[in-house]
Amino acid sequence: MAEHRKGPLTGVRVVELTTAWAGPYAGQLLAHLGAESIRVESTRRLCVTRTAGPMADRVPGPDRAGYYGEYNQGKRSVQIDLSRPEGAELVKRLVAISDIVIENFAPGVVERWGLGYEDLRRVKPDIIMVSLSGHGRKGPLSHYVSYGPYLVALSGFSTMTGYPGWEQPMHVGMSYPDPNGGWHGAYAALVALWHRKRTGQGQYVDLSQWEAAVALLGDAVVAYSMTGHQPERLANRDPMMCPHGIFRCAPAQDGLPEGLLPEDRWLSIACASDAEWRALCRVIGKPEMAEDPRFATFEARKAHEDEVERAVEEWTATQEPYEATRKLQAAGVAAYPVHSNKDVAEDPHLNARNFFSLKEHPVVGVRKHTGIPWRMSGTPCEVWRAAPTLGQDNEYVFCRLLGLSREELESLQSSGVIS
Amino acid sequence: MAVPALAGVRVVECGGMAAAAYAGKLLADMGAEVIKVEEPEGDPARRWGPFPDEGPHPERSALFLYLNQNKKGITLDLRQPRGQELLSRLVAHADVLVHNFPAPEMAARGLEYERLAAANPGLVMASISPFGLSGPHKDYKAHDINVMAAGGWVWLNGVTGRPDMAPLKPYGPQTEYQSGLAAAVAVMGALIWRLDTGRGQHIEVSGQEVVSTELEFVFPFWPYEERVPVRWGHRIVAPWDYFRCQDGWVFIICVEEHQWQRLVELMGDPEWAHWEVFGNRLLRGQNYDALKPFLDEWFAQWKVDDLYRAAQEKRIPLGPALDMPGLFASQHLQERDFFVEVDHPVAGRLSYPASPYRFLSETPAVPPGPAPTLGQHNREVYCGLLGLPEAELDNLRQEGVV
Repeated sequence: MAEHRKGPLTGVRVVELTTAWAGPYAGQLLAHLGAESIRVESTRRLCVTRTAGPMADRVPGPDRAGYYGEYNQGKRSVQIDLSRPEGAELVKRLVAISDIVIENFAPGVVERWGLGYEDLRRVKPDIIMVSLSGHGRKGPLSHYVSYGPYLVALSGFSTMTGYPGWEQPMHVGMSYPDPNGGWHGAYAALVALWHRKRTGQGQYVDLSQWEAAVALLGDAVVAYSMTGHQPERLANRDPMMCPHGIFRCAPAQDGLPEGLLPEDRWLSIACASDAEWRALCRVIGKPEMAEDPRFATFEARKAHEDEVERAVEEWTATQEPYEATRKLQAAGVAAYPVHSNKDVAEDPHLNARNFFSLKEHPVVGVRKHTGIPWRMSGTPCEVWRAAPTLGQDNEYVFCRLLGLSREELESLQSSGVIS
Repeated sequence: MAVPALAGVRVVECGGMAAAAYAGKLLADMGAEVIKVEEPEGDPARRWGPFPDEGPHPERSALFLYLNQNKKGITLDLRQPRGQELLSRLVAHADVLVHNFPAPEMAARGLEYERLAAANPGLVMASISPFGLSGPHKDYKAHDINVMAAGGWVWLNGVTGRPDMAPLKPYGPQTEYQSGLAAAVAVMGALIWRLDTGRGQHIEVSGQEVVSTELEFVFPFWPYEERVPVRWGHRIVAPWDYFRCQDGWVFIICVEEHQWQRLVELMGDPEWAHWEVFGNRLLRGQNYDALKPFLDEWFAQWKVDDLYRAAQEKRIPLGPALDMPGLFASQHLQERDFFVEVDHPVAGRLSYPASPYRFLSETPAVPPGPAPTLGQHNREVYCGLLGLPEAELDNLRQEGVV
C-alpha cells in the first residue's frame, strides 16, 4: 500500500498498547502529526470501542464501530495475543524498531506481559514510554479501577459543575478526563521525543489522568487554598460577563431525527461589555433596557441577572438559532447555536473549512469523522486513511517490518498468537 | 538536578484568559522561558477570579495565578505601532509565539506570521481562535460557552429525564484549556521538525474543531446510525450514576458484566438483582427507573470512604464525588506531593497543583513558581534582552506603550 502520511512526525513510529479512549486518543494525535501509529489489538480482548457505541447502519461488528472509527484514524492495526509469551516477543521486536510506546492498561498489566518499561528498554534503550493511568503509578490508590467518568467525580468537576440549588454532583457531558489525558500524554511523548533528538536519551512517563483533570481546575485549587471554600456553582453564568448563558429558541418545525424534541433548541450568548449589552438590547427589540440603570453596567446586570435572562429568552424563544446568531454577530455580540452531533456534522463553517475526514473504509465505506484540529503551514497534516479493520496491517507489520515469512505468519495465526 | 527538557526554548505568549496561557504553562512546566505579554490593562484572567473573600484584586485572581506560574510578565500595548514594533523585536529573539487573539484582531496587533517570520525564519507561531482563520464564521465573536456550544459539547450535559433543563456548561474555561493543549502539541511537533530543517511555521488551532474531536462516541452516532444522543436521555448501560451516601456522594459505573456481579455480591446478593429486567447492562439501562430506587436505598446506608474501599477491593469502579476539601484530604495525592506551596509577592503563600509532568523519568517538570505581577519583568526583558536604555523604557511608560 502506498504511503501518504504527512506531517512533522513522518518517520516516527509509535506502538500503542492501548484500550478504550485515552490511550487511543493520544495515539491518534501522534498519527495526526504524521507518525506511524501501530495499534496492538486482539480478538480475545476486543477493545470496548469496537463493541460499544454506534455501529454502521446499526449492524454490529468489530469493523463497523463508529467509536473505534473516530479515534483510530490513520493508524495501523495488528492482532497479537499479549498474554502469550510469543505475543509479547513480537511486541518487543516491534518496539525495537519504534520510537514511542503509549499504554493505558491498569498499572501492572503490561509488566505482567513482560512489556514494562524495563523490559522494553532492554530491546530499545532509547525508547520513550508513556503510561496513562487513572491514579498514576505511585501512591496508595494506584491499583484502584478507573474510568474516565469516575475521574470526573474524583477531580472535583462533578461538584463544581451544576445548576443553582442542584445538590447532586453533575457529570460534564462526556468522559472528559480521557481525551484530556490523551492530549497531556501526547504532549509528554513529544517533549520526550524532543529531548531524545537532542540528547539520545529515552525516558519513561508516568502520567496520572486524575492529576491531568485537576490541572483543568487549578484555579479552584488555588481559590480553596485562599479562602477555605470552593468556588460556587455558577451554572451557565460567568464572573465577568452578563448575560452569559444558554437560551431556549423557537421550536423546530419538522424533519427532526427520532427521539428529538422540537422545543429542545438552544442558543449560547455571552456579553462581555456594556457596549455589547446595548447592541444586544437593540437586536432583541428592547432598546429601553439599554438605558435602564438597573441594567446599564455589568454590576447592575449581575444584580438583576434573572430579569436580564428572562428578557433575552423572550426574544430567543421566537428565533431560529442560526438566524439569531447572524443577527447578534452582526451587532458584535458573541453567540452560536448549541450544536448536537448532527449539527456539528452539518455546520456550514466546519464544512467550508474541509475539517472533516472522509476516507473510504473497507467495511463501512465513507463515514464522516472529525478531522485534525490544527493546521500547519510548513508540514500540512492529513488523515491518510480511515481507521483500520482488526488486524488489517498484520502482513505489513509482521512480514514487511519484522521480516517474518508468510509461513511464519500463518503458523503464528493458526497457533492463535496472531489473532 | 536534571536539566528540564525545554531549557533554552524561548516562548512569547500573548492574548487573554486561558487558551494561550495554558499552552504557555505547559511549555513553562517543561522548562521553556515563557515571556507573557499583557496589554497595559492586564490579562482578563486577572479580573475573572476566583478571588479571596475580601474581593477582586488583579494580583489575586486564582485563575491568573495558576495559569501563569513560572512565566516572566511584561506589559505592552499591541494596539500602538510602537508596541507592535517592540513585539516584532521580541519575537525575533524567540523560538515560539503563541497567542489567542481572535482572527479579526490579529492584524490590528501586528501578528502577521509572514512579517514576523521574515526576521526569524525559525519562528513557530501558533494562533488559537474560536473558529480558526478561514471559513464563513472566522470573524464571529465567541467566548468559552459559545465554543463549547459550537463544538457539540454543551448539548451533551444535563440531567437524565429533564429536557426542560438547559444544556449545562462544565466549570471553568474548558474549551480554552483544550485549545491550549492542541497548540502545545502542534508546537512540539513543529519544534521537532525544526530540529531537522531549521524552519519554523504557522499553526492554526480552532477551538470549535478541538471540542468536536472530544465528543466520545457521540459524534459518529450521526454518520453511523443517524441518531442524535441527548443530554436528558438514559445511559445505554447501567448503573452509571451518582448516589447519595450518609456523608456525601459517590459515582459508580459498571460497564462490564463482572463489575455488576461483584456489586451484587457486595450488596448481599438481593433477590431483585436476579430479576430478568436487570439481566444485563443494556436491560439495566432500559429499566433504570425500576433499578434506581433499589440502589438508592442500598447506597444510603454507607459512608463514602467505607464504600469506596469496599467497592474497589472488589474491583468495582466506584469513587467519591470530591469537592476541593476532599481533594486536599486525599492521602494518595498527598503522597504524590501533588499540592505544592508557592509564595507570591502579593497573593502570599498558596497551594497549587503540581504539574502532571513531574514523573518524566529524565526531564521532570520544573517545580511550580509564582505568576508574575503586572509588568514585573519589564526592565529585565526590555533593557536586558532587547537592550533598550533605561531612559527609553521610561519614555515608553509615559507614552503608555509599556
